[in-house]
Amino acid sequence: MWKNIYLWLDERLGLNDMYNNLLDRPEPKGSWWNTLGSASLFLFVLQGLTGIFLTVYYTPSPDHAYDSVQYIMEGVAFGWLIRGIHHWGATLMVIVVFIHLLRVFFTASFKFPRELTWLIGIGLFIATLGMGFTGYLLPWNQKAYWATTVGTQIAGSVPFIGELILKSLRGGPDLSALTLQRFFSAHIWIIPAILAALIGVHLYLIIKHGESHFPTKED
Amino acid sequence: MNDETKKKINERYEQELNKGERFWPDSIFKDVVVSLGIFLLLVLLATFVGVAPEPKADPSDTSYIPRPEWYFLFLFKFLALYGQIPLLGKIEWLATVLIPGIALGALTLLPFIEKNPARYYAKRALSISIMTILVVGIILLTLMSEVPTVSEDGSKLLGILQAAAGLAIPGLAMIVLFIASFAFKRTTTRFFIWTTSLASVSMILISGMVLALHVPPQVEETEVAVTLVDQIVAGQDLYSIHCVECHGDDGSVDVIEGVEGLEGEKITPINSTDVLYTITDSAMYEVIAYGRPNAGMIPFGKAYGGDLSRSEIDTMITFMRYSWDDRFESPAIPELFPPLAEGEVPSYDVHIQPIVKRYCISCHRAGKENNNYLMDTYEEILTTGDNAAKNIIAGDENSYFLQVIQEHEIMNPEKPDEVLIGVMPPTRSLKPNIIDVFMRWIMNGMPQTAVDAAALFTAP
Repeated sequence: MWKNIYLWLDERLGLNDMYNNLLDRPEPKGSWWNTLGSASLFLFVLQGLTGIFLTVYYTPSPDHAYDSVQYIMEGVAFGWLIRGIHHWGATLMVIVVFIHLLRVFFTASFKFPRELTWLIGIGLFIATLGMGFTGYLLPWNQKAYWATTVGTQIAGSVPFIGELILKSLRGGPDLSALTLQRFFSAHIWIIPAILAALIGVHLYLIIKHGESHFPTKED
Repeated sequence: MNDETKKKINERYEQELNKGERFWPDSIFKDVVVSLGIFLLLVLLATFVGVAPEPKADPSDTSYIPRPEWYFLFLFKFLALYGQIPLLGKIEWLATVLIPGIALGALTLLPFIEKNPARYYAKRALSISIMTILVVGIILLTLMSEVPTVSEDGSKLLGILQAAAGLAIPGLAMIVLFIASFAFKRTTTRFFIWTTSLASVSMILISGMVLALHVPPQVEETEVAVTLVDQIVAGQDLYSIHCVECHGDDGSVDVIEGVEGLEGEKITPINSTDVLYTITDSAMYEVIAYGRPNAGMIPFGKAYGGDLSRSEIDTMITFMRYSWDDRFESPAIPELFPPLAEGEVPSYDVHIQPIVKRYCISCHRAGKENNNYLMDTYEEILTTGDNAAKNIIAGDENSYFLQVIQEHEIMNPEKPDEVLIGVMPPTRSLKPNIIDVFMRWIMNGMPQTAVDAAALFTAP
């Protein structure tokens, strides 16, 4: 019976084609350095899942943000674990994505035909930093508040348009409820949407061109 | 790139594929192992390291030293070092925008800058050397981010060393590498390796020296009350210091007594339902932070010149709610101090300090009228005050201290009808078990630590 179900699904979904094209692909001999990309993807998914759990209790307003995070840590069953994973996952994701970038640089994997994969990858790197930057403010504690104050100040030092950048990041001249609201929106909607789309293209390009091999004297 | 090179690259890749592996299961296996490892690591970090508690954001706290996220620390340090350069250092946007912008732009456009199809490491000596120096620099700048450029004693040595390791050496090495690769066509790979290693090793050594020379300042540990019980206790301690004088220890005072300048002032009891049911937490916060100048209440919030941070006022409100507001059910609050067994001697650390904090410090701290008797530390309790000589005498029941807490006034020996020290605390009496603690402590020679006190234990 299972065979029949499989055949029925295969006719409609093309499971065999998927297996042949996506999974049963030949690859150059890889090493553990090749796992960094999938590790970044895993961290992205994990951050997404834990992040969704956190939004159930988190309130993005200066009056309640701090207390709602406190409640997640103390009141919610296993809230400390979910937040702990999300907190450390953010740090680890920045590290893993950065090492992945360095690996690609040192093995010159960005060269023909993978130039576009590199460009998308840089976008993913910047978006990851953006996730870190926006997420850092959300607990609305001293560290978060002042880190964002400095961060937006640095962004505001651009000549001519600095003032505009500063005000649009903060939603006004100072950090306020608006800042928290737009950082929250960027953190849970805008940047994740960009990340997901870029990851899709990145993965397509990897399957299209295959994983690059480690260079030897012939290359 | 011409079609022939492209064909060659593709053929070369085919070769590698033929002696390679399959995506499933060979690559996937390694991916899964690493992802599982990462997951385990995260669970361990979340469980055993956790997330350090931080006080609530307080825009009025200008003493807080702002620092960016850890992965921007290198940029922050770079800015600080760059600011030391004469003249150029004054143009801030060069370092905040232009240099990072150029770096990021070069990184993005890398495939179009390094157009040479060669992939082998030795054929890319320049790129690899520069990236190595940059990465070493970024890591070292991050590690040195805590070290100030000017030490507390005004010495600029650390700043100069940091600038050498973080700016001068990497900058110089990169210039040398560029010149070597463009001006001299026949530079060997060995030269690149030597230059890069030399620069990196000297950067690491100098940074090591900076970190070794730097004496980290004593960080004042700010304890953050995390659990509800901790918050209530912390709030009660703060309430006892700042509010008890006027509002009484249970908030029931309606006519202020014994406070200079506010004697006889009528106030609403703050433990009444009228207050607790109609004033929200945020309104209560404003009252405490801003005070009620017209009614004689001074501002307590840092924003208005008081002593208390946002988090501290919040814990005080938590204490008031859970103690007096009948809509809140208080969790079990631990005893102020562990009860004494017969023959047991109390110590300063375990018994006296929490009692003093709750009942005495409110007045017996700097800036209050208290005959110069301060009670902030063990030493102060024993040695300060106008009557220090007779205040606390080991083994003497007639010590002034013990007399006044048992509601016997001390008369001035020179003018027998003048009160030298009134009863303490002035407007309420201590519970017998607290008086007992002080009595045993002074009669047994005022031990400071629990260990000292345990040595004095006499079995009944």
